[in-house]
Amino acid sequence: MRLSLFLLSGSIALASAAPVFAHHGWGGNVDEVTAMTGMVTEGVKLAGPHGTMRIKTTDGKVWDITLAPPFRTSSAGLKQDTIPLGAMVTVHGQRNRDPNRYEMKTIQVEYAGRHYTVYPEFADKVR
Amino acid sequence: MGWLEGSALGHLMRDNGVWFYGIVNLTHILGVATLFGAVVILDLRLLGMWADVPLAGISRPTQRMAAAGFCVAAVSGAGLLATKATEYIGNPFLYIKIPAIGLALLNVALVHFTPAWRAHRRRELSPYEKRQLAAMGGTSLLFWLTSIGAGRMIGYW
Repeated sequence: MRLSLFLLSGSIALASAAPVFAHHGWGGNVDEVTAMTGMVTEGVKLAGPHGTMRIKTTDGKVWDITLAPPFRTSSAGLKQDTIPLGAMVTVHGQRNRDPNRYEMKTIQVEYAGRHYTVYPEFADKVR
Repeated sequence: MGWLEGSALGHLMRDNGVWFYGIVNLTHILGVATLFGAVVILDLRLLGMWADVPLAGISRPTQRMAAAGFCVAAVSGAGLLATKATEYIGNPFLYIKIPAIGLALLNVALVHFTPAWRAHRRRELSPYEKRQLAAMGGTSLLFWLTSIGAGRMIGYW
């Protein structure tokens, strides 16, 4: 009884101390939040498990921008027609751990002076 | 893949609101569950479980449910893939899954060609015929499990 209580309280403590990035999609990304600016080459798509878009940075690399799930991205004000192709955007997020995969899990998208924070709970990580 | 993504199906998947993909995904899971739920019962029967239950009594409902589940899974699966088909280029799990489905379907066709399967509703099968169908049932389980396993892993690549 005492042991099971101990195990129970231990697992509750562990669960509450677990990293905030508990969603499966964040495991493969670095913890550090960085920003990058680029031109939208493929507009926002709100279908699939996560919203997505593609941007091309000044060094010519095309990045897969992974957004929040469609409903949350849309709720943050970012719809499929919000940002036109060719627009310049700045994204804040966490790059893929694999340096050869140009993919960023995105917390916030900046476009035309507006901030679309698709993961408001992580907004404090954006500087 | 580019063709699939640009197809009418791709547009249907992307332009119908933020919950559409999720609902199609749910449909896919229900289709796969119906398919595999039926397949596992038939295959285990072929492998010798519930030997006191006549094979003909199991084969009829399981075949129909498996076929219905497969159709639902195939149509919804094509939609899921078409949503952003180009993203899956180079995904090794997709390249395992699709051939595994092909082999599983080929196995279905082969089973139907065997004299044992054609006769199983009319007469008792010989021990050789039972072994033959058991082997094919095991093969079926292997291919479907490979397909479902690889399919589940696509999103984690």
